[in-house]
Amino acid sequence: MRDMGAALANISQDQLDNGLRLVMAPDAGAPVVAVNLWYAVGSRDEPPGSTGFAHLFEHMMFQGSAHVPKNGHFEHLERVGGSANATTWFDRTNYFQTLPSHHLDLALWLESDRMGWMLPALTEEKLQNQRNVVLNERRERYENQPYGNWDERLQALLFAPEHPYHHTVIGAAEDIEAATLDDVRAFFRAFYVPDNAVLTLCGDFAPEDARAGVRRYFGAIPPGQSRSPAQGKAEAGFSTGETMRVEVRARVPLPRVYMAAKVPPFTSEEFYAGQVASACLGAGRCSRLHDRLVRGARIAKSAVCHLLPLTAGATMLVVVVTGLPGTTAAELEEAAGRELDDAASLDDGEVARSVTGMETRALRSLQAVGERADLLSMYATCFGDAGRAREDLAWLRQVGTDDVQAWAKTYLHEANRAVVRYEPAGAA
Amino acid sequence: MTGGPANSASGPVARTDPPPSGRVRPFRFPEATEARLANGMAVHVASKAAFPLATAVLVVKAGEAAAPADKDGLPSLCANALEGGTTSLSARQLALGFENIGAAFAVATTWDATSLSVSCLAEHLPRAMSLLAQLVREPVFDDDEFDRFKARRLAAVRQRAMDPAALAADAHAHFVFGRRFPYGRPLGGVAETLAALAPADARAFAESCYGPGHAALVVVGDIEAEETLEAAERAWGDWRSSASPPELSGGPPAADGRRIHVVHRPGSVQSEIRTGHVGVSRAAPDYIPLQVFNLILGGAFSSRLNLNLRERRGFTYGARSGFAARRSPGPFFVSTSVETAVTGPALREVFREVEEMARGGPTIRDVETATGYLAGVFPLKFQSLGQLAGAIARQFVYDLPGAYYRRFQESVRAVTQEQAHHAGRAHVRPDELCTVVVGDAGKVVPALSECDLVLPGGAARLTVHEDFAPSAFDG
Repeated sequence: MRDMGAALANISQDQLDNGLRLVMAPDAGAPVVAVNLWYAVGSRDEPPGSTGFAHLFEHMMFQGSAHVPKNGHFEHLERVGGSANATTWFDRTNYFQTLPSHHLDLALWLESDRMGWMLPALTEEKLQNQRNVVLNERRERYENQPYGNWDERLQALLFAPEHPYHHTVIGAAEDIEAATLDDVRAFFRAFYVPDNAVLTLCGDFAPEDARAGVRRYFGAIPPGQSRSPAQGKAEAGFSTGETMRVEVRARVPLPRVYMAAKVPPFTSEEFYAGQVASACLGAGRCSRLHDRLVRGARIAKSAVCHLLPLTAGATMLVVVVTGLPGTTAAELEEAAGRELDDAASLDDGEVARSVTGMETRALRSLQAVGERADLLSMYATCFGDAGRAREDLAWLRQVGTDDVQAWAKTYLHEANRAVVRYEPAGAA
Repeated sequence: MTGGPANSASGPVARTDPPPSGRVRPFRFPEATEARLANGMAVHVASKAAFPLATAVLVVKAGEAAAPADKDGLPSLCANALEGGTTSLSARQLALGFENIGAAFAVATTWDATSLSVSCLAEHLPRAMSLLAQLVREPVFDDDEFDRFKARRLAAVRQRAMDPAALAADAHAHFVFGRRFPYGRPLGGVAETLAALAPADARAFAESCYGPGHAALVVVGDIEAEETLEAAERAWGDWRSSASPPELSGGPPAADGRRIHVVHRPGSVQSEIRTGHVGVSRAAPDYIPLQVFNLILGGAFSSRLNLNLRERRGFTYGARSGFAARRSPGPFFVSTSVETAVTGPALREVFREVEEMARGGPTIRDVETATGYLAGVFPLKFQSLGQLAGAIARQFVYDLPGAYYRRFQESVRAVTQEQAHHAGRAHVRPDELCTVVVGDAGKVVPALSECDLVLPGGAARLTVHEDFAPSAFDG
């Protein structure tokens, strides 16, 4: 039996008095360390009229704190060979740095300074600057890209307006423009508190010294007063009633269809069967979608499928099929729809092959300290136990073909489907 | 949670200054065993056993620069079409062969090389290596399969034409290198050249360009060197071929002063900007000092371009610069995408930063920061087997010295302020900046005209291209 390697062998978990959870996975392989901090806040926590705010806030976390000047976070790290970044998603915001291991304390100092002392450094000028940066990020990655608004359209079809996943992480431009300093302060006080965070250290360090360092830098930060109530209504059921569809004629190079189903969340036991079904359908050249649409019928340039690890009541399985010239998006939808309808016929060979592929990919992704740390933060945040990451492969291996078939039959039918079709403007 | 609540911090901590560093632990680049098979093929093996994984890469010094006349894109398509089946396995059987053992197979073609790589659990490496050898040595280039890969390539060309960043890169290459020199044409070909390619072309290319005399097998992971060398000998030892890829001939046209080309992309909400000129080859003796110079200009988050255009002015999500290192001098470029209305001011700031950096050079502190970054981040670049194998393959492709990686941190730390400035002055020429702006021409041109872009060295000349498409042919 293969395992997750020595790198996840010694996980220790701890909690400071202020509620900050600490996960450590030491590994002396290379003299590098990853410092990864998950805050359990994301776009799902944005009230109406404030879409995109969690992400704008993430940018403000790099604008300095009481003891670190604007851009000091990057400058301090880059000088010693460290890299830093952050991402905002539906359920969480993660901040991460990788650096030579003898500079671990530097990263702890920087992360703790903005967790405890971000507000004193806040100015209107910084907010105005980052509003412009984020609006340009929105233009570059969404508005100026072919198919750039697919997720906005797909989520709006799949989730009811009151569901926290109805809107995208990047949010609406007018909401981003409307954000104020008071919004930043309120959001910080509600969510950027030690008892709403998981700190994970991976790589080359001595656990006792690191634990002492974490206490030294984070220990004095007071816990939050009370968490804001969750936004919206996550209960949605796993049905759209009928296929929800929108057709878009736009400046795109090739016809493309995005199809999504609303399925049980990352935290459910059924998620494992879903992962296997998703891989059988759309991961690799032997998957159903590639084999039948790209290789067989030869109508698609590519055809893939993803299952997102979201937690608020439901998550999304997303199929993306890009057509070859001469095909239509309607044709692509029909062909991909047939594969979803037919997924209850997935067989033992397909399931075994997909699980083998997932095992190998999981191991490969763990090679980088940053990815290991992020995985542990995810499990600690979502399950309250980082050690659960080690059990993942065992859970996957226990998934039977009948589980996969039942999952596909229950969730991938046409009464649980949202579809966005793109047709090149000017095409007949 | 497993452990109970811990005691809180004892005593106050000095927050005002960054903490001192701990004891340095040195990084050693993994030692690779190098061998040469009797047929001339190089084999590099490095053991790294943190995970039960292995990666094998076959790299051949034949990339897009080896394309025959009027057959741009053949090297890439040929490499893709290897997956179309062998004398004993169909395309589908090959795919099953890899995926049944959880192996990921990937093909990459650059200007200088073709790489075929496979990553899997170490226990499956023998099977994966045998499939890799079969695929390279016994391809059939079946008509039907070849057409399938060709159709996908042609579709990818359409995608590039509508992607603002890809269009800007292709247009910039075109205006810097001209269409007569390969680097001036899109990597991977254009519709006209691809449409004319046939399986016979791929067969001829594979025969004339894939051979042991200029190929290396790189194997890394949880493996034994001796055993792996034996496996390499079994799979590749009897590979005979007189293949010899052609060298790139000719060069780019002489630079033509400062020019701005506006490439019309209807409906764009941003201007995708590229500016630069012909840079250096990978073999440049001052390549490392030049990396230091570039890091300060636009190679990291805290570099001058990004701090100015993003963090000071909010014009963009990011701005960067770089030198594309190839066997022949590739482009030096600055790239950013900005809101259309600020195209003029943004471009003026880009020009100013490039001029100031070339003229005034870096400060001592700049150089300390940049060398600290490049040396410190080095170990982080070899965490995965794919990264490690890729680095060894590049060492082969560009004939880097055997100790290049082992000495890299030392070499970069030794770069002085003068060396970095000298390298920058030698390879960055502000008066030759050739600029491409991909955007909505109706808005970009007024935005540029409003802004005074007349600079020392002469005004930039402006040309608008209503319907730009990269082409492979003279005309």
